[in-house]
Amino acid sequence: MNGEILRIEKLSKSFGGVTAVRDCTFSVAQGAVLGLIGPNGAGKSTVVDLVSGFGRPDAGQITFAGTPITGKRPDTIARLGLIRTFQTPREWRQLTVLQNVLVARCAFSREALFRTIVRARRIRHDEMADQAKVMEILDRFQLAGLRDVRANDLSGGQKRLLEFARIAAADPRLVILDEPMGGVNPVLGTRIGEAVRHFADEGHTVIVVEHNLPFIERICDEVVVMDTGEVIAQGSFDSLRDNPRVVDAYLGMDQSHE
Amino acid sequence: MMYWISVITESGIFAILALGLDMVWGWCGDFDLAFYGYLALGSYMTMVLTIGKPTPPTEYILGLTLPYPLAIVVADVLVVALAAIIGAVALRNLREIYFAVTTLGAVSALYLVVQVYTPLFDGFNGLFGLINPGQSALNLTYNGYRQFFMVVVLVILAATYLVVQRLSRSPFGRMLRAVREDERAAAAYGRGIFFAKYRAYLFGAALAGLAGGLFAAYISAFNPSAWTPQELLVIYAAILVGGRGNPRGVIVGVFVVYVGFIELTRYLPSPASRPEFAPALRQVLIGLLIILMLRFRPAGIFAERAGQERASREPAPGPVQQAGVGADS
Repeated sequence: MNGEILRIEKLSKSFGGVTAVRDCTFSVAQGAVLGLIGPNGAGKSTVVDLVSGFGRPDAGQITFAGTPITGKRPDTIARLGLIRTFQTPREWRQLTVLQNVLVARCAFSREALFRTIVRARRIRHDEMADQAKVMEILDRFQLAGLRDVRANDLSGGQKRLLEFARIAAADPRLVILDEPMGGVNPVLGTRIGEAVRHFADEGHTVIVVEHNLPFIERICDEVVVMDTGEVIAQGSFDSLRDNPRVVDAYLGMDQSHE
Repeated sequence: MMYWISVITESGIFAILALGLDMVWGWCGDFDLAFYGYLALGSYMTMVLTIGKPTPPTEYILGLTLPYPLAIVVADVLVVALAAIIGAVALRNLREIYFAVTTLGAVSALYLVVQVYTPLFDGFNGLFGLINPGQSALNLTYNGYRQFFMVVVLVILAATYLVVQRLSRSPFGRMLRAVREDERAAAAYGRGIFFAKYRAYLFGAALAGLAGGLFAAYISAFNPSAWTPQELLVIYAAILVGGRGNPRGVIVGVFVVYVGFIELTRYLPSPASRPEFAPALRQVLIGLLIILMLRFRPAGIFAERAGQERASREPAPGPVQQAGVGADS
């Protein structure tokens, strides 16, 4: 662990009169797998949106790898090496599996309009190099046989795997997975868990937003718990098991009804 | 014979426009209604840059006598400048019907200004006098020149096609399709959405302006009756028929719709008392064609090519080894 890669300080965001995130502060260590958990409406997804640039915070600071990224555009943040996923897989439907992963992989300079016209041969050469690397990645996620299938025609589980293949191709420093286990069967769940650990072993940092607590317990080094827009605890999964605020956040409602 | 030369020349010019429009609609997914305005502005500007000073009571701006090819280039720069303004407003946050309405508003405003403000392009009367530029220098007969001009248009169309096809199959074209399919995901993978769409829009508008410059010499006169913004819907029909997102399909679609429909309607019985019958029926037939294509072949004659990667000619390695993975959902 070489220091922290992401630091969030006193982050706040309201929608209309509703405060979604209030004074949220936590940081993520380089190379860690961090779980971000909490009941529905705790503000987890809002934090993900704010960090990845899909929302502007009302107050607070976000620093990624030493660079302040508060309020920056999503594409700017992504280019710094922070890739996020969404709760439902957002594949580029009319593109093939191979193309989906190539887009994630592609160097931005290769998409320059006039360079495309005058340096076509050079670009094609670079593309071929990328393609070899992308085929390895597709192989790892058991998608190699589906390379020329339009992403739209994949099953729900295959779309999840495609998302992971795109991330692997993009090779980000930090990846934020927003509910990667949504609608996933147990066999695939195991594979996704392995994929997350694999990212971490390669030195990537991972933040996982997830409701599936056994999954979080299995793969995360550390957990941040949110409730009603605030961070209520941070620590190892075991240390939080008996934390009364965490127990209350998850079970409080049910108990009061009984 | 001359009739066919005329039809082919006109189709070739519209194919250049359609290639530009398809970059915006086919590749980026934005239904733009301003494009006929870019063709019109390209035509008007080419005219005022070549036909010399107006003789009263005619009035229009500039009235220069630039060489025709140079005039097209200068006119196109102005077209792109206009597209830069319209695109900057319309592409930033507006999508789908909001984008379409904004561009329709822009072209309608342009149409009204050109019609009403006579010092610009002489209003309703329009401009004329760009007759076979370079005919005497080339020492050609009138008919010879028309043939020569058809070849020029087809050569420019071929060059345009090669460039557009190269863009279509490149990482640039692929990125635009990704943006079209899911903007948020494209942004999450580092793509600046506005800038991506904007570049394609300006390039497409440049092709429309080029088509306008050629159109000016083709019809040698230009006035508001030569361009109603609705004309663009025929171009859309052609793209739809040929294959949205596929440059080859777009060109085929334009020739099918223009040659096919001009031919079909030419042989239709048109009662002498009702001269508007044939043109009206042509609109009906184009509507019918769109419906039939959408019903039976929605991707068009040539579908947008899925596997644009070179190596996809290799056979895919066997059918699917995905035990336990594809079974859910």
